[in-house]
Amino acid sequence: MVRGPCKLLPLLTPPILMFRQPRPPDPDQDLVTRAQQGDTRAFDALILKYGDKLYGLVYNMTSHKEDTHDLLQEIFARSYQSLGKFRGNSTFYTWIYQIATNLTLNFLKKRKRRAGLSLNDMESSVQQDPALIDTTHEANPEKQTNLNELQLKLNEAMMKLSEPHRMVVTMFDIQGMSHGDIAKVLQTSEGTIRSRLHYAHLQLQSALQDSWEERF
Amino acid sequence: MKPTVEQIGNLLALKRNERPEEGYWQDFLCEFHHQQREQAVKQSGLKAFFGRISEWFSNLESSKWAYGAGLAYASVAAYALLSPPDPGKQSIPVTPVNYQVVPAPAATPVEQLNQLDLSPSTQGSAGEQVF
Repeated sequence: MVRGPCKLLPLLTPPILMFRQPRPPDPDQDLVTRAQQGDTRAFDALILKYGDKLYGLVYNMTSHKEDTHDLLQEIFARSYQSLGKFRGNSTFYTWIYQIATNLTLNFLKKRKRRAGLSLNDMESSVQQDPALIDTTHEANPEKQTNLNELQLKLNEAMMKLSEPHRMVVTMFDIQGMSHGDIAKVLQTSEGTIRSRLHYAHLQLQSALQDSWEERF
Repeated sequence: MKPTVEQIGNLLALKRNERPEEGYWQDFLCEFHHQQREQAVKQSGLKAFFGRISEWFSNLESSKWAYGAGLAYASVAAYALLSPPDPGKQSIPVTPVNYQVVPAPAATPVEQLNQLDLSPSTQGSAGEQVF
């Protein structure tokens, strides 16, 4: 008897694919173990390894250098104190990113409640900040000016996004993290991350529309 | 014309080059270690204080329960004495009432009749009826 194509074929895939694949070993395991045993140099190495990435994350969220510095001190102090509780259920990278995002979002909530720093203040600090201006096009001053203006507009538009949307854009577009990694850090689904990213891109597109038409 | 998502992504990717200035992490680590040392000293001070108390307490044998009860009683009494009074229960301040006594005006002397005269032609000086 000739049988047609089996529609149940996907169920006959090897059973090994039905199980979760083993997690790759944490590349920081050695440093983390040494730091847990009290080796401060090992923890220094972890700070130096992830410092720049976390600086970028926090700075793009706060747009304020002093706040970024204070937050980074708090993030590393908190992770150093909690290192004994780190059981390796996730990688150290995911764990410290979780601490960083939680503390940063809490800080931004508190800052919003304070009347001290208005959105206009933040925008002006962003505009005057040389760290935000790209220097890869110095050979072509006209192009560089256009790019600087676009970047300033982009920074303004970023600061107008809600914190969860800005966080996702920072992690995906600026830091180059995958949807899966962002979902693990923010402890949500990949679908939510994609949806937030889509909405944030629409907002940024609308905000940049006028400047884009002028330049191109 | 709107920029495409790709173009926005490229523009955002330029921000990957943002780094803190040279030497930032050296200073950062110095400050981090300084703060950790300060915290460790604070914690060790507190730990040593509570450690000494618990050691002294464990050296006491059966009398430690009496000391404990006395300490608890003393702390409750101290709390009761030193705690600020409840503002709702404060007594209303008493304002003195002015009790100044004003003397009554001097009464006009009433003319006394020495003898009752009921004759119809008589008119008393005290305003009695005249017949």
